[in-house]
Amino acid sequence: MGFFDEPYDFVAPPDDGRVEGIYKVTGKGKYSAEYKVDNICYAVMVGSTVAAGSIKSFNLSNAKQVAGVLDIITHQHKPVVPGLADEAKIASARFGLPVFHTDKIYFKGQPIALVIAETLEDATYAASLVEAQYDTESFAVDFDKAQAAVALTATGKERGTMDAWSNAPFKVEAEYNIKAEVHHPMEMHATIAEWTATDKLKLYDKNQGVNNVQRTFARLFAIPEKNIEVISEYVGGGFGSGLRIWPHALAAIMAAKQVNRPVKLMLTRPQMFYSVGYRPASWQKVQLGANAEGKLLGILHQSKNGTSKYENFNEGITRVTRLIYNFENLKTEAAVVALNLSTPTWMRGPGDCTGDFAVESAIDEISYQLKMDPVALRLKNIATEKNPETGLPWSTNFLNECIAKGAAMINWQDRKPLPMQDINGDWSTGYGMAVGMWNAGRGNASAAIEMKKDGSITVQTAMTDIGTGTGTSMQNIAHDVTGISKTKIKIELGNSNLPAAPSQGGSNGLSSISGAVVAVSNLLKQKLAEYAATENEVYKNAKPTDILLSDTGISFQTANNQFVSYTSIWDKSKLTVLEVEASSGPGAERQQYSFCSSAAHFCKLKVNRKTGKVKIEKMVAVADGGKIVSEKAAANQMSGAAVGGIGMALLEEMTTDERLGGLVGDDLAGYHFAVNADAPIIDVAFIGKPDPNINPTGSKGLGEVGIIGVAAAISNAIYNATGKRLRDLPITPDKVLGW
Amino acid sequence: MRPFIFSKSSALSQALSKKNNTTQFIAGGTNLVDLMKKNIAQPESLVDITTVLPDKITTNTKSIQIGAMVRNTAITNNATVKAKYPLLAKAILAGASPQIRNMASTGGNLLQRTRCPYFYDITTPCNKRKPGTGCSAMQGQNRMNAIVGYSDQCVAVHPSDMCVALAALDATVTLTTKNNKQENIAFTNFHRLPENLPERDNNLPANALIHSISINENPFNKNYAYVKLRDRDSYAFALVSVAAALQLSGNTIVQARLASGGVAHKPWRWTEAEQYLKGKAATATTFSEAATMITKGLKPLSHNGFKVPLLHGAVETALQNCLVASQ
Repeated sequence: MGFFDEPYDFVAPPDDGRVEGIYKVTGKGKYSAEYKVDNICYAVMVGSTVAAGSIKSFNLSNAKQVAGVLDIITHQHKPVVPGLADEAKIASARFGLPVFHTDKIYFKGQPIALVIAETLEDATYAASLVEAQYDTESFAVDFDKAQAAVALTATGKERGTMDAWSNAPFKVEAEYNIKAEVHHPMEMHATIAEWTATDKLKLYDKNQGVNNVQRTFARLFAIPEKNIEVISEYVGGGFGSGLRIWPHALAAIMAAKQVNRPVKLMLTRPQMFYSVGYRPASWQKVQLGANAEGKLLGILHQSKNGTSKYENFNEGITRVTRLIYNFENLKTEAAVVALNLSTPTWMRGPGDCTGDFAVESAIDEISYQLKMDPVALRLKNIATEKNPETGLPWSTNFLNECIAKGAAMINWQDRKPLPMQDINGDWSTGYGMAVGMWNAGRGNASAAIEMKKDGSITVQTAMTDIGTGTGTSMQNIAHDVTGISKTKIKIELGNSNLPAAPSQGGSNGLSSISGAVVAVSNLLKQKLAEYAATENEVYKNAKPTDILLSDTGISFQTANNQFVSYTSIWDKSKLTVLEVEASSGPGAERQQYSFCSSAAHFCKLKVNRKTGKVKIEKMVAVADGGKIVSEKAAANQMSGAAVGGIGMALLEEMTTDERLGGLVGDDLAGYHFAVNADAPIIDVAFIGKPDPNINPTGSKGLGEVGIIGVAAAISNAIYNATGKRLRDLPITPDKVLGW
Repeated sequence: MRPFIFSKSSALSQALSKKNNTTQFIAGGTNLVDLMKKNIAQPESLVDITTVLPDKITTNTKSIQIGAMVRNTAITNNATVKAKYPLLAKAILAGASPQIRNMASTGGNLLQRTRCPYFYDITTPCNKRKPGTGCSAMQGQNRMNAIVGYSDQCVAVHPSDMCVALAALDATVTLTTKNNKQENIAFTNFHRLPENLPERDNNLPANALIHSISINENPFNKNYAYVKLRDRDSYAFALVSVAAALQLSGNTIVQARLASGGVAHKPWRWTEAEQYLKGKAATATTFSEAATMITKGLKPLSHNGFKVPLLHGAVETALQNCLVASQ
């Protein structure tokens, strides 16, 4: 891959390397804030210093005196945004926070002003001098305190009855609390906005779906979608934070309109804590029953998650409960708890990570009551035939194979069936496991191929690659279908001018784009066969599957291959660039089958009696992601997800101050995610069996299942080591002490 | 960040002559630049002192002198430090990240400010940042804060690991004053408790600079340990830390040193426990007794009660680790 603002030489990656790998490690790959745009200026957001109330007045005089300041946008002084022009439009826009369109304060840090200046330094300094007076109101930011007063309501259809298992001989009833977590991709969110004409907009923007950005701003600014070009070629991690369009992107576009110049706005790391969503804090209660043979009889799963005062975000915590096991009796309830914080959003394994932690902890707990191996208990109860929610047969579901393989990889037979049976000095060793599952989706996606006379092709799509290896997978698929060498396959993606594709989220990316790449690769073969037929009649009506492309020409996949060179095709048909485009999407198979990705996680760890230290010694992740298109990238995704899960289990916590009404701490020294020292090398394996119905490649997404079961596997292992059942995340040393 | 005038001094005396209320010195900058970005430190001028401070480690038979400009990493790589003062290297390596240690200076390590999150958030009251506004941590999120030596004005803790080892090893801080005189101050008296002046972290006179640190030769290079308990395994400040060192004769403790980070406004010496250990057998029971002695009178805050048992465990573990000679 290269860049959309300057020519570049394509450097082929080493075998099995990422297509963009060399550009990333040499620093040449351009992230949103790194594009050079002539005449650019800079915008810095000023946040509210109070948690609730309204803005009474501003004092901007000190800020305006800073040299280089061009303008300061507030709700009283701003360019027109047609889609937010009045209260009714704001309500129907569903944009979320109506930034600079209200005097109301919903949370501390909410942008109240935007300083635009010649340099970042000028803008930053002037932003520190903006003063505002507020009428303050009472606020609530502590989820744990606020949630008790919020009533639950039923969510999803009840199965069977709660009475049916009220006399179950084995029961678990427990509550689980998880602190809010922040995505914190390495690359901070940034937008460069440039109005290239009064109704034409160009955006270099960090996000997970350029077409989504395009649609959103076309609506807000009442201009055609095609008038907006969104470029997000390199995305330094997303984890869900780039699936929504956030206020800062709108702010940059408004600023560019206001000063009639290109504007760059990059969030600071402190702003990343409250500007682009987070996994909300949650409370859960699980009641679970089983009979003496270890059959799970029923479950009641209740959940609440935090949201903001201006939007309801329901994380969908009980969704996973309906998916994995054959619960004949099941009831789920949920509620959201409005707080004076910014709106949370999807974060890797959204809802399922949260819900799975509670359910997989409860199942582990009941396994000790039953004196049954938790592996055996799961194998007995997993719904392997049908999706218990829809009744449709699974197209493929190899979760049981994941469990069996993972158990072998971690030497599960070494696990002691009772806690505290493997003690060495101050350290006690424990084993734990858990499973996770995710609906395997697929969206409509398009891809194009441009081919030149020299046999090189460029495969294109609007889809982003947020680090998952989308581009590399596209290259692998195009190579497999066409036969053209990987060194001659270039990838271009993350630009809304390229063929449309869904956002990269919910583990749908590869599943969606792979169909389009197969379709367009076949179309290329067909087109070339048509051209070849003008030289050699045997190509008339040739099927793409009969044909092989090499670096120099087209042939049949048979001994008498009837080779025709690209040179002669191009010369004869006077071609310069051959262009083909194709789309692909889900169809009737979605009415016949249910689709899932799944994974089993196993953890071996030791816990120190005196220091509360938890040291993870081994982590095994086995996933069913259908056919693995790019082994290295897939394993990398699983490892990254597991490390993220370690953070969720042991470290990550967004802290609030109930008296002062905001977050406490806003840097990565205080907000702990896992570093290398906290994580072992993750042992990753795949089942690798293609799903014959999901898409032409048989691959299923891995992004979510890599993390879903991790926290429960760790906490279950801590129980096995210590006999202490920890139901609140993160499990920091203070919680571990005292066993 | 507020704009500032940047200058570089060519001599120590010249640098000192520039010192006033609106001027700050910058060496490694690993803390000061953060403080400036967060509008906590807002100097009008910044004087680069990297070339005027001694940046060498010198040794003689009796002691070692570490220049104020010696980078943290350089100390950990120094052969004499590794052979004779290994506790110091061990403590430094438990702190920050390699990148920060490469930049951070010895003098700056002593002068770094607390990491109390309220100190870093200018929208909140903080007596250390803005005297008289109140202490947000006292009733707030004080999980990381002090359990000993705090006042009703301030419950911040000193964040350094290196300083815990220097306190344990009875180091001396040498200062250069404005009239180019050198003065010594015992390391344990360099930092101070918050009392009624929480804005003051230490006893460095306004007209002075840290010139160097010296440590006398001691018998604590065989049986020593630095145990740092933290939420994550690297790049995290201590919940509690313990620098422990024993001089042993057979299994008998001749003398002991115990100091802690993460517990107080200054690196904290546990002298009573040190006295207790003198002459005792180096056994788990003795160590546990010492830990109990240390944790007996502590007064945790609303959210850091766990630091008491954690410290108990850390002291026991550190003393036990001392018995694994020359790690």
